[in-house]
Amino acid sequence: MLSLLIWMPVLGAVLLTVWPSKLSAVRLRQIAFIIMAVVLGWTAVVGYAFTSSDASLQLREELPWLEGLGLSYRLSVDGLSFPLLVLNSLLTWLALHATEAKIQRPRLYYALILLLNAAVSGAFVAENLLLFFLFYELELIPLYLLISIWGGPRRGYAATKFLIYTAVSGVLLLGAFLGITWLGGMASFDYQPLLTQTIPVVQQCWLLGALLIGFGIKIPLVPFHTWLPDAHVEAGTPVSMLLAGVLLKLGTYGLIRYGMVLLPQGWETLAPWLATWAVITTLYGALMAIAQTDMKRMVAFSSIAHMGYILLACAAATPLSLLGAIFQMVSHGLISALLFALVGVVYQKTGTRNIEVLRGLLNPERGLPIIGSMMVLGVMASAGIPGMVGFISEFLVFRGSFPIFPLQTLLSIIGTGLTAVYFLLLVNRVFFGRLSPQVTDLPPVTWGDRFPGLILTGLIVLFGLQPAWMLNWSQATTTVLAAPLIRQPLITQATPVISPSSPL
Amino acid sequence: MTSTWKPLNSPAADDYIQRLTAGGVLLPDTPINLLEVVGILKSYGVVLGAYAENLCFIADDQFLELFPFFKYFNGKFSWPKLLRHWWHDRINFEYAEYCMRTMMWHGGGGLDAYLNTPAFAQLAEQAIQAKLKHNPLMQGLHRLFPDFLPEQIRQSAYYSTLGQFWHVMNEIFISLSDRYDGGEVTSIPQVVKHILSGLVAAASQPITYTVRIGGKDYEILPAAAGLTFLADAAVPYVEAVFFRGTPFLGVVSYNAQAQQISPDQANFAYGALYADPLPVGSAGIPPTLLMQDMRHFLPEYLHDFYRQGKRGEDDLRVRICQSFQKSMFCVTNAAVVGLAPYPLNTTEPQQQAANQKYLQAWVGRMLTSQLPTVQE
Repeated sequence: MLSLLIWMPVLGAVLLTVWPSKLSAVRLRQIAFIIMAVVLGWTAVVGYAFTSSDASLQLREELPWLEGLGLSYRLSVDGLSFPLLVLNSLLTWLALHATEAKIQRPRLYYALILLLNAAVSGAFVAENLLLFFLFYELELIPLYLLISIWGGPRRGYAATKFLIYTAVSGVLLLGAFLGITWLGGMASFDYQPLLTQTIPVVQQCWLLGALLIGFGIKIPLVPFHTWLPDAHVEAGTPVSMLLAGVLLKLGTYGLIRYGMVLLPQGWETLAPWLATWAVITTLYGALMAIAQTDMKRMVAFSSIAHMGYILLACAAATPLSLLGAIFQMVSHGLISALLFALVGVVYQKTGTRNIEVLRGLLNPERGLPIIGSMMVLGVMASAGIPGMVGFISEFLVFRGSFPIFPLQTLLSIIGTGLTAVYFLLLVNRVFFGRLSPQVTDLPPVTWGDRFPGLILTGLIVLFGLQPAWMLNWSQATTTVLAAPLIRQPLITQATPVISPSSPL
Repeated sequence: MTSTWKPLNSPAADDYIQRLTAGGVLLPDTPINLLEVVGILKSYGVVLGAYAENLCFIADDQFLELFPFFKYFNGKFSWPKLLRHWWHDRINFEYAEYCMRTMMWHGGGGLDAYLNTPAFAQLAEQAIQAKLKHNPLMQGLHRLFPDFLPEQIRQSAYYSTLGQFWHVMNEIFISLSDRYDGGEVTSIPQVVKHILSGLVAAASQPITYTVRIGGKDYEILPAAAGLTFLADAAVPYVEAVFFRGTPFLGVVSYNAQAQQISPDQANFAYGALYADPLPVGSAGIPPTLLMQDMRHFLPEYLHDFYRQGKRGEDDLRVRICQSFQKSMFCVTNAAVVGLAPYPLNTTEPQQQAANQKYLQAWVGRMLTSQLPTVQE
């Protein structure tokens, strides 16, 4: 069942590449869109088969592969990976829609997007460390090519920087995975047996350090973040949507799955430092966002700041904070994809993303009023305004983390305030006031341009009002994930306000 | 017009003045400008006709009605009409009232002067007594607040005056459109000439206002007051609506406390010729209401022309506003030529100097309007 999520897009990519007759870019986009619609539909089937009350790894598939190397084809899904799988399928489908109809070299482009989707799905469902690593590395190739071929003027620089950073990340991960397996006395990289390993705390800390830097580059955490703004600025809109929406989540997912769960004592030891690191990442990202004049760079730094919340929640590692971490991953995926999609439309129509040039785009006649309205909603969601997913995720993160790390949580909350600052600056400058003279004669915006934004906006509001529909997928899993790490909170309370089992 | 005059030192102003004295026009004479101006004046004419009818109805039939709930229905109330009104699928008569109030606020001309004379006060009092004959409550209120009802009647006088003025303008614009359709009007100078002829023909037409109460007529603006179309309606209207306008209903926010609005009303420049065609999205902008009204009556050739634009139907109101401003420069052009102290082609040096001073005053005010924009 899970294999189809990997192999359908791979087969689709092969099909697009070897299709014998000449196909126009528009037709290729339609085919890719249909393939991803089928994948998205299959994700829904997986969701139907998925038992949310079962905390264990489900829908398992197993095939021996290179047993001598400890590599086996084992797939499974749980409450941590399933929401991310859905996010991956959905955002790839929307990213295809956000692609320019007349893109150059369309066969290669759509094949790479499908391959990227397959690799990310593979990483999320892999139940073998080496298999995860293979998918993690495989995803680099299409992403590197997507940036370096279809990117902006400095695409070569951005793509190479991304490749170098992520290659270093891969090396560190591989080293850490080898260490975990060998020091744990295991012959295989299979995930389940590694849960029983008893590596000494000091060694756990070293291994965790490698994992933290490896995944920290991917997330990215300050100071390993510098590749991300460059990559976003040079990447096209669909690639930015996927990069911020899904690919960064490989880092946070890996941190929980392989760092926190496999090395619990090391995690507990380093947790206060991680919480502080989260604060630094959040505040640095937010302050940098305030200083930006390029809309895309601002959203990119906003992404970095929001990743800090996930690290804080993971450091606290309470069932509630982990639930918040997973929800924040999805929430950030939806919001950042929305913001990048909208920035893409603004850039496509106006030819600039410069905040100092753009003004008054909410103009109902000559501006981009619906795009602007969705942008206002998106930034409100990002700033944690109630009624949208951002509020739920940030509230869960802060509520779950506060008993363990009160100071760091309070400092992180400042980041939420700063989010409102930079996004209000953005909205106020770009969307309010009179249209600037440079943009008074914009081309029309079609409903096709608005489609990805409308879907994402709808989901942001829907899950903001009814978060239980998504939280139910992960509640059982987060309780189990946090079990080895249940600690005495610094701040105690007589009656728990929210228990892991209570619906939200 | 501004009360103090000083010579202009602007090449652009010299260019406009030279054009006018040489018999030219303010708006460049191009086929597209002609199409826009005539087309928009056709729809404006239709809208003005409706506005004029409603203004006269309110002046005549809603006289001293303090709660005129159905004043926009012209006495023909029906539930479907009310539903359409609430649905906003209608002519925005509010715009006509906005213009009337702007005229009343800025004043000027013989009407403003007459409404402050004892003769008017006496006529108004007679009408009030007739209207309140069977209403002791209102009689008591009138004694307590003797200025209130006369002020209402002053407003009714403006309703009627503007209604009469627009009725004439409606005929001028519709006949212009007919002549264009018949191939008689083929250039912007001919448009200006047509409007000028219409204004000259109606210049001395009297402005009067009489209300019927209890089967008896009561004069409010009698013929004896000597009010005429051009001097007492057209000129104050152009001054109030085209030039001065009102800052609080414009498309830009002003901060009165920061002295961004001149304390001298004569220096106001918020009128139709200055309006920014691009709305900023704030609510209740009267020029936008007029654009909405005109879009219902666009001639097909003009609608087609707008559809061919980059935004198609999306920015129709902006384009209507731009065309409307072009057409209003033609009307202003006609008024400026018509009101000149001497013929603009005079060869008499003294008359030329007087004309030069007169034109500099007008053109100086238009330099900051949308006039430079419509030259592009």
